Amino acid sequence: MLTLLKDLRRLRRHLDLPAPDRARSLAVRHVDAGSCNGCEHELTLAASPHYDLARFGFGVVASPRHADVLLVTGTVTTRMHAPLLAAYNAMPEPRRVVALGDCALGCGVLGLESELVGPVEDVLPVDLRVPGCPPTPDAIAAALVELVG
Amino acid sequence: MSDYRTRIAAALEGGSRFAGLHVSGGSVHSALVSPDGAIRLESATVVEGRVASIVDLTPAANWDEREAHDVYGMRFDGHEPLRPLVDHDLDLRSWTVPVRGDDPYQVAVGPIHAGVIESGHFRFHVVGDRILQLDARLFYKHRGLERAVEGRTLAEGLPYAARACAACVVTNTVAYAQACEQILGLRPTTEVARARTILLELERLWNHLNDIGQICAGVGLAAGNMRFAALTERARRLNLELTGHRFLFGSVEVGGNAVEFESAAAREELAAIRAESESAWRELLFNASFSDRLPDVGVVSRDSALALGAVGPAARASGLVEDARTTSNLLAYDGFTTIVPHRAAGDVQARLEQRALEVQQTFDVLASLLAAPVVAAACEPSGNGRTVGAIRVESPRGATLCIVESSSRRVDRLRLRTGSYANWPIVAHAAAGNLLPDFPLINKSFELCYACADR
Repeated sequence: MLTLLKDLRRLRRHLDLPAPDRARSLAVRHVDAGSCNGCEHELTLAASPHYDLARFGFGVVASPRHADVLLVTGTVTTRMHAPLLAAYNAMPEPRRVVALGDCALGCGVLGLESELVGPVEDVLPVDLRVPGCPPTPDAIAAALVELVG
Repeated sequence: MSDYRTRIAAALEGGSRFAGLHVSGGSVHSALVSPDGAIRLESATVVEGRVASIVDLTPAANWDEREAHDVYGMRFDGHEPLRPLVDHDLDLRSWTVPVRGDDPYQVAVGPIHAGVIESGHFRFHVVGDRILQLDARLFYKHRGLERAVEGRTLAEGLPYAARACAACVVTNTVAYAQACEQILGLRPTTEVARARTILLELERLWNHLNDIGQICAGVGLAAGNMRFAALTERARRLNLELTGHRFLFGSVEVGGNAVEFESAAAREELAAIRAESESAWRELLFNASFSDRLPDVGVVSRDSALALGAVGPAARASGLVEDARTTSNLLAYDGFTTIVPHRAAGDVQARLEQRALEVQQTFDVLASLLAAPVVAAACEPSGNGRTVGAIRVESPRGATLCIVESSSRRVDRLRLRTGSYANWPIVAHAAAGNLLPDFPLINKSFELCYACADR
């Protein structure tokens, strides 16, 4: 256990990540509206030692009721339409919606028309678009930092 | 008994295993794989929308028959009750197993989960903290990829197989490409086979490192989780350096290999990742509060694994000595032998150990195959081709079956039955009898994709 922690500290020193120059934070709720799991895997690594999104004050929260940002991945399937709206409606104001990845933006989507509702912007007011297939952890981190402004 | 059932019963008796079932052209086709890896399709003609069920012969066909009903309207005589699987707009009682007795209540989880996780719904029937029964309702991410690809050319179909899942993209596209090559009368050369095997093992590497980290997350061991997340990141950066994409998207083609890279730097980085992962693994082994959480949790017996059709690391952790890599004569796995843990108890500990063992194998395979640079190469002609291609490729989560039917160089039917699809019913089976708070750990020990089950 100690070695694991020491290894992590060494990795952090080696990576030499810059300290953020702001004191604000954002609580993020993620909803997978019909992705291929690529965006999720990159979002997971955005919290890993090489990027450490937490140092900017970003954290994934379990409930939309605690969230400032709704981060949506994937093109919206017919079956995820209602759960996505329910998550959005549960959020307090002010709230922001981020469409993460090309599918969420409606680019190059494959599938049956009858199974898909459309890109996130057809369903919710989108504040920030993050392209990429999937967006890299640095692109995700940069976009969220931009959102804090 | 109908001919179809007799033939399947005989094949199972003879040591074959059920590998998937699909509907096409007025028939139902069951894929059976023999111990030498040969795939045989047994078909039954549909009469008035009905065929005989085989779920009593092999419970592994349960999901396949339910999907065939929901998507293609097929009825299976003898499959009672035929619960909805892909259909969602239905009463709770229609898709859950009734649970009766003193004090059982339900816990509904999802489709949106608390962390960064794909969407899917779990309906737990519990008494106190004890899980009596779990009904998983997936297919929230059903995009209809299998039907959307119909009518496309074989080459145009590749992105559909790719888009099914990012975590298994190489497996799914290699399986699709090989199935198409069977149709086109092509055979991978040694060089094509080597390139694809390298890509498959690079995919397995980041997946297994990720999955070990996820098991740490499943018990709240942040240090282990982050250590393996950092290793996963290194593996993905290596993918980017070699192929231009962190998940190896676009690296597989029908009819050959177009990816080229030098191998010396890759060998060096892989050796460094290996040394670090071995050190991180040793630390986990000596962490008593971690190790204490793993044994006897989420047990899948060898018999259950066999009957329910478990595949991949989960099946091997239950003592089933089988791995599609040992019989993949279109890939470069010469001399590869299946490995199982010393204590193949089918629990979380065994599934974790299995991954650690397989990571070592992956490093060995990559070290040997990366002795020379990877260069572009085309498949060679081999025979006349055919109208149905059927291929099984071992993904990080288990054998994936890909069937392509094509009469005029266009996709008439695609069936992609991934390792995750095969193993989801095993997760539900493993959860029963355990404590609800242990479910995240049990689930992580399988670490299945929703996307490539839902398609």
